[in-house]
Amino acid sequence: MSGDEQPVKFVEWIKKIKDRRIFLILAVIGPGVIAGNAGNDAGGIATYSIVGAREGYGLLWVLVLLTGALAVVQEMSSRMGVVTGKGFGDLVREQFGVKVTLGIMLLFIVANLTVTIAEFAGIAASMELFGVHKNISVPLSAFLVWLVVVKGNFKQVERFLLLISMIYLTYVVSGVMSNPPWHEVARQIALPRIRMDRDYILLVITMVGTTITPYMQFYLQSAVVDKGVRVEEYGYAKFDVYAGAFMTIFIAFFIVLATGTILHPAGVVVDSAEEAAQALQPLAGQFASHLFAVGLLNASVLAAFVLPLATAYGLSEAFGWESGVNKSFREAPQFLGFYTAFIMIGAGVIMIPNAPLIKIMFLSQTVNGILLPFVLIIMLRLVNDPTIMGNYVNSKRMNIIAWITISILILLTVLLLVTSFAMD
Amino acid sequence: MPFFAGEIFISEVYKKPVLDQTGEEIGKLKDIIVGLGEPFPAVTSVVISSGQDTYLVSWDMINLFNRRVISVNARMDALKPSEIASSDILIFRDLLDKQIVDINGAKLVRVNDLELGEVKGKLCLVAADIGLRGLLRRLGVEKRGEKFLALLKYKLQHKLISWTYVQTVEPKLTRLTLRVSRQKVSSLHPADLAEIISEVSQKERTAMFGSLDVDTAAEALHELEPRVQADIIDEMSKERASDILERMPPDEAADVLGDLPEAKAQELINLMEKEEAEDVQELMEHEDNTAGGLMTTEFLAFPPDMTVEEAIKELRLEAPDVETIYYLYIVDQDEHVNGVVSLKNLILAMPQTLLGDIMLTPVKTLPLDAEQKDVAEFISKYNLLAAPVVDEKAVLRGIVTVDDVLDFLLPTASRKKRRKL
Repeated sequence: MSGDEQPVKFVEWIKKIKDRRIFLILAVIGPGVIAGNAGNDAGGIATYSIVGAREGYGLLWVLVLLTGALAVVQEMSSRMGVVTGKGFGDLVREQFGVKVTLGIMLLFIVANLTVTIAEFAGIAASMELFGVHKNISVPLSAFLVWLVVVKGNFKQVERFLLLISMIYLTYVVSGVMSNPPWHEVARQIALPRIRMDRDYILLVITMVGTTITPYMQFYLQSAVVDKGVRVEEYGYAKFDVYAGAFMTIFIAFFIVLATGTILHPAGVVVDSAEEAAQALQPLAGQFASHLFAVGLLNASVLAAFVLPLATAYGLSEAFGWESGVNKSFREAPQFLGFYTAFIMIGAGVIMIPNAPLIKIMFLSQTVNGILLPFVLIIMLRLVNDPTIMGNYVNSKRMNIIAWITISILILLTVLLLVTSFAMD
Repeated sequence: MPFFAGEIFISEVYKKPVLDQTGEEIGKLKDIIVGLGEPFPAVTSVVISSGQDTYLVSWDMINLFNRRVISVNARMDALKPSEIASSDILIFRDLLDKQIVDINGAKLVRVNDLELGEVKGKLCLVAADIGLRGLLRRLGVEKRGEKFLALLKYKLQHKLISWTYVQTVEPKLTRLTLRVSRQKVSSLHPADLAEIISEVSQKERTAMFGSLDVDTAAEALHELEPRVQADIIDEMSKERASDILERMPPDEAADVLGDLPEAKAQELINLMEKEEAEDVQELMEHEDNTAGGLMTTEFLAFPPDMTVEEAIKELRLEAPDVETIYYLYIVDQDEHVNGVVSLKNLILAMPQTLLGDIMLTPVKTLPLDAEQKDVAEFISKYNLLAAPVVDEKAVLRGIVTVDDVLDFLLPTASRKKRRKL
């Protein structure tokens, strides 16, 4: 009988290791990291590149504060998903009824559609820097994005997106390679010279608006539910969220660092991410330029996944259709149908010659700006409702932090809306 | 006795003014309380809100109740404000926009609207509207939406589910499940039931599973993912858990117990009936993906000197307790497998023939430690419904049926449906 004992002991040993913390954490990590990184989409990369070029290190302090804000908001989304087992669309529909849901969903669709278009624009622009025409890069990438989700199961898709998330680290390389004067960087973070002129303030609120967008919250909550994270695993989910928030800002930091070190002193003015990548070449060499282009491509591809997914999840939850990355077209026709439609429209618009991209970006910023306050306030209502969250409602301290954060976010968003209309 | 015409949808009376005996407005209709009732939940009171006050008016005080007029048989000053009890079930608050199980379709749907109708003199909840028409009605654009869609050549259907085919999901509402629909839930195929159970949230899952009878619960439990199984077993009382495990075939029970933490599994085994517990423990001694781990100990074994007639009699007695009756294994006194008789051959043979004469011999067997892959190849190669498993002493220990290896035989594409971490 001793021959039978040894394999049994080995199996028990493996089981013990599997119960170790580190594996449990690795198993739960995903939604938070992906949702966070999706905040660094094509628009985000553009914003940070511009911020670095225009202000050098002058706005890095905003990033430090943003980490906290992002963590607070993301944590609430994740908590709601884990505790209730329902997505944000589900909860809005169940608590606020059809009319409110319809209103939110319409804004959501418009907001996400415009951002999706921006992502494919980012893909086209970054591939053009490598000499690939958009007529090739856009349909190809659209097909890839479509295929992975339709044919893959949740685990596969998540692994793929996490892999893509790691490529963001090229920006860290860019930043470090630019050889910034670290003591100067530290000084400007600790003692920022805050100017009260319009351009400066506009940059601040644009940074905020691009880092905390409604689709991230929707996606995070739906992903946590689709993944099946249990209440007992909530501690690990929290870690996932905080890791995601930290990583997002970490990457953004290095983007600002890179352009701030190379472009700012040279007084180079850029208005887009691809211009920033190109501008790096004469000053920092082709490798730096390539790194930036790869980073932009990567960011756009990741977001090209997350945006249509977030929309498909939200709509399916709100209107009671089957949803889930694991499902086939027959099982969840509306979910995959909307996913497909979004990709097709997003990619299709970019293929149109002379598409009014600037106007579309403006629309995207505006609609997201309108949607965000509603989403945040609804989130606060839901997360404080004991009939939904049971014992996991916000603690008093959490509420104070959340209310302060959200009030500031709403204020800044409203300011952004007002100024962008005033500038017309 | 209230007078109302035909059926009415909840969305059509929401926030409509409620008048008193003299025609004065008491307030707006805010909600409707329903209580148990067979065959449908019946309306017990109407909730009216006026400013800060809430009035609960019992149904028999309602005079008129239709799309145009809702009135109460009392004067306004006779009504006193009251509170809603926490145990009350309110239609708008608790049922509308929530998820329910459509038993006919075997899936989860969302309630867009609810239909009230007269049943045996009472106003009852008769159907749930889960379709687009319900959504349009909630937004007040049903007619216009219908015309618009007709332009696009799309006929807007009514998608109503009779409440007899509805199972509520929220824990608080399980009381509203009718006896009829509870029976129907049990008639859902365990695989469908398991899929629905795995899609609802944790709280709702516990409630749904708790409302199932032991047999249905046992069938559904095995169809669930191991993680979900472990969760559900954790959430129910140990007695009920061991009851359910007893009802399951021992190989399935062994699977479930094998995925639980050792201490918990031991506790539950101790609570099970001795015979069942022994079977299960024997199976648990083997590795999960070997023949020993896949097999069941419930098979038919007869001596070679039994006649066909006696065997059929015996089979009728034992059939309810065995995994499969398609193969009868012929064993000697030392429990070695000598041969096998298929059910077909058994029925075709003359009653007085001895089993030993019609059996197929020798019998191909699997060792206890055969790997899952080899078991699958074995069954596939010899086109078997079940394969006998023997130990080193050639004693017949159990059989592996084809459904246990079917998952393994399927191509990877369909395995993606398993939502494992």
